[in-house]
Amino acid sequence: MSPLQTTWHHIRRSPFQSMVAAIAMFLSFFFISTFIIINSGLSSVLKYFETKPEITIFLKDGLDTTTVENLKKELSGYQGIKEITFISKEKALSIYKEQNKNNPLLTEMVTASILPASFEITVSEPEVLEKIYQNYSTKTNVVDEIIYQKDIITSLLNWTNATRKIGLAIILIIGSISFLTMITIIGMKITNRKDEIKISRLLGASSFYVKKPFLLEGVIYGLFGSVFGFLFSFLLALISQKSVNSFFQPVVFIDLSISFYLILLFAEIIVGTFLGFIASWIGAKRYIKF
Amino acid sequence: MKIIFDQVDKKFGIVYALKDINFEIDQGEFVFIIGNSGAGKSTLLKLILNQLKPSSGKVLLGDVDLSKSSKDDVDNTRRKIGVVFQDYQLISDKTIEENIALILDIVNYPKEKIQSRIDKVIKEVNLGTRRFLFPSQLAGGELQRASLARALAIEPEVILADEPTGNLDPENSWNLVKLLKDINKENNTTIIMTTHNNEIVESMGKRVIKINEGEIVKDYNISKKS
Repeated sequence: MSPLQTTWHHIRRSPFQSMVAAIAMFLSFFFISTFIIINSGLSSVLKYFETKPEITIFLKDGLDTTTVENLKKELSGYQGIKEITFISKEKALSIYKEQNKNNPLLTEMVTASILPASFEITVSEPEVLEKIYQNYSTKTNVVDEIIYQKDIITSLLNWTNATRKIGLAIILIIGSISFLTMITIIGMKITNRKDEIKISRLLGASSFYVKKPFLLEGVIYGLFGSVFGFLFSFLLALISQKSVNSFFQPVVFIDLSISFYLILLFAEIIVGTFLGFIASWIGAKRYIKF
Repeated sequence: MKIIFDQVDKKFGIVYALKDINFEIDQGEFVFIIGNSGAGKSTLLKLILNQLKPSSGKVLLGDVDLSKSSKDDVDNTRRKIGVVFQDYQLISDKTIEENIALILDIVNYPKEKIQSRIDKVIKEVNLGTRRFLFPSQLAGGELQRASLARALAIEPEVILADEPTGNLDPENSWNLVKLLKDINKENNTTIIMTTHNNEIVESMGKRVIKINEGEIVKDYNISKKS
């Protein structure tokens, strides 16, 4: 009997224990996959907001080009600035017209002179926004108004961080439970087959020879758990993609990119196999003492 | 493989199971270990199999000193020994054929020859179609023969048989001993057999080591009865 056949024999001989081990691994990987997919969606949401102008400084009318240039230079000096775009009065008008092209009444009444020029600033480090706001809100001689969606970004960041933390905690708890379940089940299986192991050792089987089928069993549970956990989670993403994406519009929360899911599957197979092996190795080491 | 016991003691707590045991068994010898129940016969076999470690003294199997040997040495030595256990020690959820296949796998017997080797030993012990049954489906004599078949399968240098005739009727006992004698003669396999059956011991004309209360009281050869 090859080790694989022996392992299959062990699985068949105690189907309920095997089922519990496989389900524990499956649940862990289902939650891990789902969390990673949600996390990727949250990253997309954040990315979307990060690519939008995060602070807009409206300038007073009648500023000369040098003052505007100096202001731009000053703003560029802040660390964590991604992009500074100057919106002139004329450009502001064309944006306004574009946004209201279906309402000619609104566009006819507006001229470039009544719209303020502005700086739209995007950042890579959200902390800089507060600094800019504090420094420029006092410069009333050049700044007319500052629009800073501080509360939205802060609460979005808080929500994202909280979701990540809760998700990680759930994964850690479920992962630990399934890991301990695996160790216990492999231990139970070893105890059930104590006589067989003892006899094999007396016949000259090495310690590794008797442990091998149990290690393989752990690897199989890990493999099963990671593949099926991933598949169920992928299926869930596939089913809910349309409704979730329409809720988060215009952000693509669930992006069914093949490369992302292939990498995820591959990584989970490696982690699952490794976890299954380690859990069964600990179980075997703990229970095979002869 | 020469077996040497050099001043071997085995104690369980303060009780001596074996005391100052000294003997040498050459390759190809047929030796009976006799003595009353609790005399230390099984303990002696367990020391050879390294199932127990001596409290003092040396047990040498070939070049290997079992009292100091590594796990690998013990495993390798055990693979050269066929054991017929008193209580058979067959794996209950494997068929007789699978039990024999297991030991062949343990000793790394060539995969392509495993089936023919099983066929041969099954035939030698006359188990026929019983090979496909589980141990619980066999009678005592058949189990003993299955245990012997497993021991023979690996073509061992030494066979340890612990009371192999204990559960057998006279006819089966004689058949088994005759089989062991043939193996000893044809393959030059060392046979060490513990028994209570004086009739068999006296009729075989082999070396006998008599143990009483853990000590060797007699080590002698019996001339074969005509």
